[in-house]
Amino acid sequence: MTTTTTTIEITEATHLYPTSTEVGLFLSDYAGWLLGSGATCIRLEKNIERMAATFGKKVDMTIMPRHIHLTVREPGSTELFTAVASICHPVISFDINTRLSELSWAVADGKIDFHGAREEFERIILTPPADKRFVLLVASLANASFCRLFGGDWQAVGIVFLATLCGFYLKQILCESKTDIRLVFIICAFVSSVLGATDALFHLGSTPEIALGTSVLYLVPGIPFLNSFSDMIDGHYICAFSRFMNAVVLTACLSIGLCGGMLMMNMGMF
Amino acid sequence: MILEFLQDALFAAIAAIGFAAISNPPRKAYLYCGIIAAVGHSVRFLLLNTPQFDIHIVIATAIASFVVGVLAVLFSPIAKTPAETCLFPSLLPMIPGIYAYRTFGGLVMCLYHGSEGEFAHYFYLFANNGLTCLFILLGMVIGATTPIFMLKRISFQATR
Repeated sequence: MTTTTTTIEITEATHLYPTSTEVGLFLSDYAGWLLGSGATCIRLEKNIERMAATFGKKVDMTIMPRHIHLTVREPGSTELFTAVASICHPVISFDINTRLSELSWAVADGKIDFHGAREEFERIILTPPADKRFVLLVASLANASFCRLFGGDWQAVGIVFLATLCGFYLKQILCESKTDIRLVFIICAFVSSVLGATDALFHLGSTPEIALGTSVLYLVPGIPFLNSFSDMIDGHYICAFSRFMNAVVLTACLSIGLCGGMLMMNMGMF
Repeated sequence: MILEFLQDALFAAIAAIGFAAISNPPRKAYLYCGIIAAVGHSVRFLLLNTPQFDIHIVIATAIASFVVGVLAVLFSPIAKTPAETCLFPSLLPMIPGIYAYRTFGGLVMCLYHGSEGEFAHYFYLFANNGLTCLFILLGMVIGATTPIFMLKRISFQATR
């Protein structure tokens, strides 16, 4: 009788608290995807610690530029599990970021158990990105609005819209064919700046400088820049520096493409 | 002035929604991105164009970014998304793109012109635009990210 009771207790405990290995494997996958989808380090730490505490575990992490080193242990036990996870998602997706954050709260609030969380995670990472044609159109409209905000006339707005439409479409094609992102930035900035220079070339409007300057701004890596500062404020200096350098390299590639475009169109500055 | 003000808000909202789309946000976030960007850019517009204030663009951008940050955190529990989802795209219309372009232009022209007078002129343009651009960016990121850390409780419970 005693043995049976003990067995039931162990089974229930096992059901409630998965092993450190199971939790470690799940959390390392989760961390790789959350960081890859554009989350800041502080969000990653909070989400991971929240879920680990719910599973009765303690987690220590090292967040590196391309990997996450994660150790899970059970308080009062010598059992521990260590995993090194690669950062997975190459494209920033705040939709996945939001859903993964929701999942961490669902776990913490007891709305979902470990196995349910694992299944939900597998569903979330299959979330498709937004429709490409929609993104292309609104990104072009956004850059054209940028031009207007900077004081460009309507001719400049039209040219920036077209320059962005072509450049961004090219970016989508090149990213699909897995071209190196730095090369993508150089080529797209080149194409957009050549098209942006048509305002000056054909004397269409009175603000050709703004048309040319704005035509490549859709490529500015704003989120890596902002994330790097957020990580720096939180004391994650290696990750902050890595994100900052990544953004600087992309900005340099953008500048090379812009410079090439201006040289080709024989555009002077000032 | 009123027409310019409204136009500024409208184009800031379109820019924010468009740039938000690049980072694949949840659909419900688009509306909030537009509203926050419009308010933030309007604050900056008012600070820069009201003679009584007479504020430098760096300070005006930092204040407007702080407003954007606070709004993004306060809206995040309503939108049920992390504050960064609305914050980052809403900030982008304030990015000093033209200053960055002129900085880069000044640098290139420095390389083209070897004579001392011309070089000094273009180096001045490079340094002047570059410093303005750098400090606007610093003001933006510090102003915008501070509310997330000040209001941690709201920021990190938004998706609950």
